[in-house]
Amino acid sequence: MAEANLENRSALAGHYVPGRVGSGAGTGVTLAEGRDLILSQVAFWPDSIAKVGGKLAKDLGVQALPGPGRSFSGNQGSLLRIDPLKVWIFGAGAPAFEADQAVTLDLSHSRTHVRIAGDEAATLLNRYLPLDLREASFPSGAVASTAFHHCGVTLWRTDGAFELFLPRNFAVSLWDLLLEGAAQFGCEVL
Amino acid sequence: MSAERLAAGGRIDRENEIWFDWDGDILTGYAGDTLASALMANNQKVVGRSFKYHRPRGIMSAGVEESGALVTIGEGARRDPNVRATSQELFKGLIASGQNSWPSVRFDMGGVSNLFGRFFSAGFYYKTFMGLPPFEWGQGTGIWMLYEKLIRRSAGMGRVSRESDPDSYEHAHGFCDVLVVGSGPAGLSAALSAAEAGLDVVLVEQDFELGGDLLNQPLDASETKRQELIAALAAAGVRVMTRTTAFGLYDYGVAGLLERVTDHLAEPSADLPRQRFWVMRAQQTILATGALERHLAFGHNDRPGVMSVSGARAYLNRYGVLPGKRMVLATNNDSAYDAAIELAGAGASVRLLEAREAAPSELAGRAKDAGVDVRAGMAPMKAHGAKGLHSLEIAKQSGSAWSAAGKEACDLLAVSGGWSPVVHLHSHRGARPVWEPETACFVPGPIDEPIQVVGSASGHWNMADCEASGRAAGTAAAAALGKSANQHSVPALAGWDNPIKPLYEIRVDGQKLKSFVDLQNDVTSSDVRLAHQEGYVSVEHLKRYTTLGMSTDQGKMGNIIGLALMAEALGKDIPEVGTTTFRPPYTPVSLGALTGRNTGSHFRALRRTPMHDWNLAQGGTMTMAGLWHRPWYFARKGETIKEAYEREAETVRTAVGLCDVTSLGKIAVQGPDATEFLNRVYTNPFAKLAIGKARYGIMLRDDGIVMDDGTTWRLTETDYFMTTTTAHAAKVMVWLEELLQTRWQDLKVHVTSVSDQWAGCAVAGPKSRAVLEAVVQDPDVVSNEAFPFMGVIETTLKNGAPCRIARISFSGELAYEVYTPSGFAEDMMDQLWKAARLMDGCLYGLEALGALRIEKGHVTGVELDGRTTIDDAGLGKMASAKKVYIGDALRKRPDLMREDRPRLVGIFPKDRSEKFKAGSLLFPEGQVEGFGDGWITAVTHSPALGHWIGVGYITGGHQPWEGQTIVAADPVRAGNVKVEVVSPHMYDPSGERMHG
Repeated sequence: MAEANLENRSALAGHYVPGRVGSGAGTGVTLAEGRDLILSQVAFWPDSIAKVGGKLAKDLGVQALPGPGRSFSGNQGSLLRIDPLKVWIFGAGAPAFEADQAVTLDLSHSRTHVRIAGDEAATLLNRYLPLDLREASFPSGAVASTAFHHCGVTLWRTDGAFELFLPRNFAVSLWDLLLEGAAQFGCEVL
Repeated sequence: MSAERLAAGGRIDRENEIWFDWDGDILTGYAGDTLASALMANNQKVVGRSFKYHRPRGIMSAGVEESGALVTIGEGARRDPNVRATSQELFKGLIASGQNSWPSVRFDMGGVSNLFGRFFSAGFYYKTFMGLPPFEWGQGTGIWMLYEKLIRRSAGMGRVSRESDPDSYEHAHGFCDVLVVGSGPAGLSAALSAAEAGLDVVLVEQDFELGGDLLNQPLDASETKRQELIAALAAAGVRVMTRTTAFGLYDYGVAGLLERVTDHLAEPSADLPRQRFWVMRAQQTILATGALERHLAFGHNDRPGVMSVSGARAYLNRYGVLPGKRMVLATNNDSAYDAAIELAGAGASVRLLEAREAAPSELAGRAKDAGVDVRAGMAPMKAHGAKGLHSLEIAKQSGSAWSAAGKEACDLLAVSGGWSPVVHLHSHRGARPVWEPETACFVPGPIDEPIQVVGSASGHWNMADCEASGRAAGTAAAAALGKSANQHSVPALAGWDNPIKPLYEIRVDGQKLKSFVDLQNDVTSSDVRLAHQEGYVSVEHLKRYTTLGMSTDQGKMGNIIGLALMAEALGKDIPEVGTTTFRPPYTPVSLGALTGRNTGSHFRALRRTPMHDWNLAQGGTMTMAGLWHRPWYFARKGETIKEAYEREAETVRTAVGLCDVTSLGKIAVQGPDATEFLNRVYTNPFAKLAIGKARYGIMLRDDGIVMDDGTTWRLTETDYFMTTTTAHAAKVMVWLEELLQTRWQDLKVHVTSVSDQWAGCAVAGPKSRAVLEAVVQDPDVVSNEAFPFMGVIETTLKNGAPCRIARISFSGELAYEVYTPSGFAEDMMDQLWKAARLMDGCLYGLEALGALRIEKGHVTGVELDGRTTIDDAGLGKMASAKKVYIGDALRKRPDLMREDRPRLVGIFPKDRSEKFKAGSLLFPEGQVEGFGDGWITAVTHSPALGHWIGVGYITGGHQPWEGQTIVAADPVRAGNVKVEVVSPHMYDPSGERMHG
């Protein structure tokens, strides 16, 4: 939901301080909050997957509805299949559907989006997330729901980065943990 | 023992001398030393005191099996007890001290207990202090608790720091195709062959260098090969983790690893954790964990100066320390000969006692050529030298027995009683080891998991076979994971070139010998026999009665000897006696590592509402509500909490108050069948809830007990907004998802948590509508007519932010819940507060919220505590008789429908000036005994009524108790208070006020 004159106040406001974390010289990890998140959800039914998927793919300019745990990015946004019967649209609102086809939700305020990049990004994430992030198991485009300090989070791998979606109310706690873990790699908060 | 550092040799860096502190003395060692090797090089003979008898102990090995050199590392908050000096890497400024002693390990007052050692046999404390006079005359177990504290104080293994741990620790998750544990010849070969087949391999090694037994061999014999293997590993992409112990194996290829990240660093970076606790998930696991050299039980076999042969060899070849000048080596197998030859070559006088009747000729020939005096048919009988070995009584074999055969001066006795494969990790998976009589040891038994054991851990005793078994396992793992590789066959167990002589104890008629079986736990051979005599014939009972193989040792040193002695006592073979279960951890894991970063402020994640900072800026004092931080009260200058919440509650009743209610669970229920779904979930009808209306609902568990309550708002034909209690938000969400996925897959409904999407504020009080009128773009939409009680609207705030509002009340006043997207929450609060302040309104917190709801008799999680039926809570009218819903059938069980069940009531103090406490039990006056007839769940001072009130439950509800004096008994805190039971609806029972 992008109200023109309103600021979607970051859950990390007051906690997000750009600059270096850690005493080392190198930069193994960069962390950046993705501000003004636009995130919507489309949930469909087993008998409407094809129709809804086709419309979503067309609207967003992607080749098809991605399979569960996968994503496709197009010129209008990205489709993340977070669940067999649910997709997230990153970067765009959801189109309208008849309820017997799909139901939609705006989730733009529900998550804090953190982009984690750098050579040690996967290593840092695996300090907390019990996910196999090796390239063969979790390649670019993969998406998964997982646990971070007992909190449910969503991780999406894009080219050169991991996009981490934190539940807004846990965001500060989890951000603090990320910083603590990242210091050993040399970290730049962008 | 008079050990000394050699001028050359070993893997230490003589260019890098470093100092360390041992019991207050500044000593020096070299980079590449362990604390043990450095202590030995400084000729420190007594470095520990034993667990029970406080006997002086020296360095007994060069590895994790160490039972003597258990020391304390660090000081102050960083004091770490029970560290094996043999595993502690030396670093500049290391501070180490002896433990379990006073004033020092060299002279320990506690050593007096050794004088009475003959009385301290297995079970001594229990026999003496439990149940026997005079110690427990009429005292019961209470006095035992006192004795136990005293006994524990005199026994033990070092003291932990009482201060907070200043170090950080972390957890880590790892994944690999193949996990190889151990980097000896077999482990290196296994890792290399698996990696060269294209697998992702992780190799873990507890030591700080790769090589395993290669490290203990003379440099010229092994170093080239070791370096070549390591280079090949790097080229093949093997991920190597040194200083990392695989301490346990668990289900589905999970291994627990402990990585010691900074324990070897003098000045570690503050950014680094001290230790890292890994959960490693592997598709295939190869255990190349090696074997441990056994000792023998003979008289005073724990004297400082008695050690393993492999230990003596390691100190010579790896650390350049000659552990003694006049040595006796004792063996029953071939492995000691190379060590004897190397030690003699380094300048020691070496005599080798060969327990076998004849020394193998080829080995004996080589030994004699090197100057070793080989004596066949002999074994150690009794060591002398409490603070350093000075002589040894020797036994010789006479038929099947041993007899005394003179005394020998010596300063070191190195013993090899055979080798035990390290089957611990294998055993963690429930696989029983199998006795291999040819080599007198347990080898890993069959296992139905992708785990292979290689090298000496599987019973191979020569290097070629160890390497071959490693290669075979690596390629087998590759084949199992679909990779093509040249398969290698697993070599058969070839045993020793010359048969080992099974030997566990040297006993000589007429000699009273104190022979230790488990050195770490001070268990002697006499203890084992005593346990047998007293009927503890199972090895599991033996273990618990004597403590054999318990604690951090986990049977590394004493288990086999103990089993052998028990087998002998029973007249059985060792396999018939069996072995105890090895349990994780293989070596100790610190509590800090188990905790990781989940400590301090991260003990639990803190949930902050989008108004968190705003609440703080307004002077809110926060309190925990589950994981949430919520405003407790907003005190004005000089106000106490009581004054603050009473003012806030009163302001809500008279003007208006604002309260952050974001923590309520919020669930989007969507789809064509959403109405039917809700109608099945809630006890009350939802089939005809109109769009733009909200309804209070109760949901039950299958067993008819109340699960949760809340309001559900109908936004469109197919779209609902459900609110739940803060406490049960996650449980309800999971429950709804479970219902849809398992029972009602035919329903087209999706549920999604939107708790984080929406921030909520309760606007309560007679002036609440006026506040809303001031903040919404179109005031008409909130008029009484347009927006009746239980109405729902979606509209826009003046700042352009969308909002959804329901006219619902928890306080009993005219009230609304206003929700806006979380990122706009502070803007919304600014607007609401600006308007409310002009109307003499207030911000209120949980304390006032509680007071208001108690006055109204509204229930929360403390009343809906998992035992309550809908009738108990006074909400039975909400249970529909016209539909079927979850819990409908079982809530009608006779016991749940009884009229005399505890029912929700209100509580007033008889004397209105008195107060009482939540948790009090309710009794009829004069009958304060037993469990009572009810209990109080919540209390408050009611601003509206002017006295303390409470809610709770009492048998049959309030009507049977009207006019009676009841006692609220609180025996451990406030004592008894006379109260009366009233209707739970203590304020505005008709509900006129909320209809405003």
